[in-house]
Amino acid sequence: MYPVWEVPYLTAGGVLALIATFHMLPSHLATSAMWLSVYLEGKAYREERPELLEFVKKYSKFLLVFSYVFGSLSGVGIWFSATVAAPRGISGLIHNYVWGWATEWVFFLIEVAGIFLYTYSFDKVDRRTHLTVGWVFAAASWTTMVVIVGILTFMLTPGRWLATGGFFDGFFNQTYWPQLLLRTTAMFALAAAFAVLVAARLKDERARAEVVRAAGVTGLAGTLLGAACFAWYHASLPAALHDVLDALLTPALGRWMLYPALAVGLYFAVLAFKPLRVGTAAALGAIVVLFASVFALERARELIRKPYLMPGMMYSNQIIGADLPAKGVGSDAGRFARTGILAAAPFVPEGLRTLGDSNRAEAGRMLALLECSACHTLQERGLRPLPRLVRGLGMDDPAAMTGFLDALEGYPYMPPFVGNQAEKEALAAYLVALARNGR
Amino acid sequence: MQTGTMLSLLQDPMGVPFYPAVFQALMVLTFALHILFVNLSVGTTALAVFGRLKGGERWTALSRGMGKSAAACVSTAILLGVAPLLFVQVIYDPFWYASNTLSAAWVIAFVFVMMAGYGSTYVFTMRSEADRLGLAAGVFSLAMFLTAGFTMHALNFQMLQPEKWLGWYTQAGAAVTSGLVLHDFSLPRFLHFIVPAFAATGVYLMLYARYFEVRPDLDKEHLSWVGRLGGGLAFWTTGVQTLAGLGWLLSLPPEFRFYAHPVFMLAAVLGASLLFFLYEARRSPGGPQRLAWPAAGGLLATVLAMAAAREALRGLYVGRSGFTAMSHRVNLDLASTALFFVTFALGLVVLAWLLSVAYQAGRTAGRWEAGPRMRRWGWASVGLLAAWLAVVAGLGVVVTLKNAGS
Ligand code: HEC
Repeated sequence: MYPVWEVPYLTAGGVLALIATFHMLPSHLATSAMWLSVYLEGKAYREERPELLEFVKKYSKFLLVFSYVFGSLSGVGIWFSATVAAPRGISGLIHNYVWGWATEWVFFLIEVAGIFLYTYSFDKVDRRTHLTVGWVFAAASWTTMVVIVGILTFMLTPGRWLATGGFFDGFFNQTYWPQLLLRTTAMFALAAAFAVLVAARLKDERARAEVVRAAGVTGLAGTLLGAACFAWYHASLPAALHDVLDALLTPALGRWMLYPALAVGLYFAVLAFKPLRVGTAAALGAIVVLFASVFALERARELIRKPYLMPGMMYSNQIIGADLPAKGVGSDAGRFARTGILAAAPFVPEGLRTLGDSNRAEAGRMLALLECSACHTLQERGLRPLPRLVRGLGMDDPAAMTGFLDALEGYPYMPPFVGNQAEKEALAAYLVALARNGR
Repeated sequence: MQTGTMLSLLQDPMGVPFYPAVFQALMVLTFALHILFVNLSVGTTALAVFGRLKGGERWTALSRGMGKSAAACVSTAILLGVAPLLFVQVIYDPFWYASNTLSAAWVIAFVFVMMAGYGSTYVFTMRSEADRLGLAAGVFSLAMFLTAGFTMHALNFQMLQPEKWLGWYTQAGAAVTSGLVLHDFSLPRFLHFIVPAFAATGVYLMLYARYFEVRPDLDKEHLSWVGRLGGGLAFWTTGVQTLAGLGWLLSLPPEFRFYAHPVFMLAAVLGASLLFFLYEARRSPGGPQRLAWPAAGGLLATVLAMAAAREALRGLYVGRSGFTAMSHRVNLDLASTALFFVTFALGLVVLAWLLSVAYQAGRTAGRWEAGPRMRRWGWASVGLLAAWLAVVAGLGVVVTLKNAGS
């Protein structure tokens, strides 16, 4: 258990979610844009159409700046924010999947060398070589997705890994294939939406119409296939996750997942059949709408992981709740129940390690920080604010509150309380006081 | 709680999938490359700004070249930074995570500082010389890169002092959870990481002059000026770097006796030889750029040795609490280890093709034509990537079928 970072209103996890969601745009563009680009470049050469090449140049420049300034840095940002939001979680992932990340990094090297070379060498190398550079880039960038999806889905459904601890058992888990295909199809929709944006600034009528039509077809195919993959993905989720989803998915979030995707599908369909002139603002609007549905999907994916960071093993508050014999890991829960979590967790101020009358309130806050703050702010407003939720329970005596903490296990989306009886009572007293005076 | 107990409680219980020494070696190697490009990023940006301030034909042209170089160097630095960032978390997890969470706000700010700085290098390169906004963007980039560098320095310095962590985390008996404070830094150490920005950029200028001298369309006079400028810059700032290093050495805890450490001594000897070599290079008849390649080799060797020395020093720091990076339990996972090393070997083949296309195209005026060998190598690169995908997909299907229903 490392130091807790409290972010007012948002929680540290909220910061991670924001950065991760933003990263979706540049990263999925990076993996998909080049396919469209090399297709159009090849066409430009075959049919001697320099005006199409003009689009390809603009598009790749956009890709370079957007995906490799903001994309690579927001990717690093996800990592840093995970580090400060849930260090033990990211540590566990890394200690299992370090070679997976290192493998992705190799393709990342190829990608970055490739995009610089591609963008700056249209007039510097012969056409065939330039196209080959494009293909190398396209293949390497999609491969980064092939790798990272294994790690992402592992966090959702670790599958046989829980028994064997084997890298590939966790990697090729039950949601791997549907998720890989879902992201692959969605990325083409995104590439298409960005292509329309870049094409909006082309002067040549015919080239613009052609690019917009190609984008419309790609985008439509991406959206339709994406919908099919989503259904498959949904069906592949285990029952426990469906329970959490049923408990937490609000109708609003459901609508956010559906309607923007429909709107974008319609947009592409129109463009595929009638490649209209779309202005920059409208094209940006389409990207925002598409992003809204991706955002909702990611939110839902985060929701169903609760109460775990590593399903079946590490809770969202980074407490390890089960043994993992394959890796020689013992659960924290039993140990903390015996010794008390305040005594055994490394980052607890020394004065709070043993409970007494003078430090009970502060110790209660420390317990809330350790066990609840991953999902709740301790303030009046913000992400699932504890004072309000506790008030909502209508309990204002510590004994009843202790009973609630005993019952935490009954919630499909919250981890159980971990620690000894005295600590449980201190936390209960703190929560009651928090609900009463907001402190 | 005893610092040693605390560290062993923090250490990840899942162990590591291969021998820690291998992660350590990869970490040192990739860190050396990373810091070299960090140095080049800072140095080329500084030179680009300086050139634009100075004005005149030569400096303006140089400034333009440096602006473009900066964008590529920053990208490379980020790319190469990912690897040591990964490996440090494998073998120094308690240290890295504690230091980061104690200053969490800075860790997040680092990302945005880098985005702002990097984004504005493009503003700098896209604006004309007369435009003040362009200049401001360059100055801003430089300031951001230095801020980011300082933040990383502080995080890496905090991690070496586990005995102070709990004190930093506690105020008036309660936990401090704002993450707003950088708790410690060491100026001599920071300087030793920043001064080489100029030495590295000097060598880079020598290479620049050497690389482009075969281009008939470029101004020989200008290139030769660039080469001489680089030689001077490299020599003098390597001299300053030697002093900065001495300053750092003196600031270390005396009980380390680091000056007597063999890895440090090797690095120091290499550094001194580089200084001497650069001195000689300046007097070379064709200008220092004649010796650009050996100078670059010497610089790389020195940086590698210094990175190893830095790691040795870290070992001394963490050893004070009884920790060693070798103490991780090994849960051997040969399959994923093989995946990485095979991919790495294959990736280098592909990467080398890209770099060699870039190298040859850059030295050609007009359009470069690939010969049959380069063409085959290109196809082989696409083929290797396709083969990788086919093998991994096949493996995936086998694993999926094996695990289905269990
Ligand atoms: C894994 C994340 C997570 C953790 C950790 C967590 N909770 Fe929750 N909690 C939730 C979610 C999600 C809800 C549902 C919120 C909603 O309905 O808006 C919730 C709801 C609640 C509610 C309202 C329950 C109700 O039935 O209305 C209370 C009270 C609460 N949590 C207290 C706590 C306390 C105390 C802790 C620490 C011991 C804690 N939670 C830890 C995720 C978490």
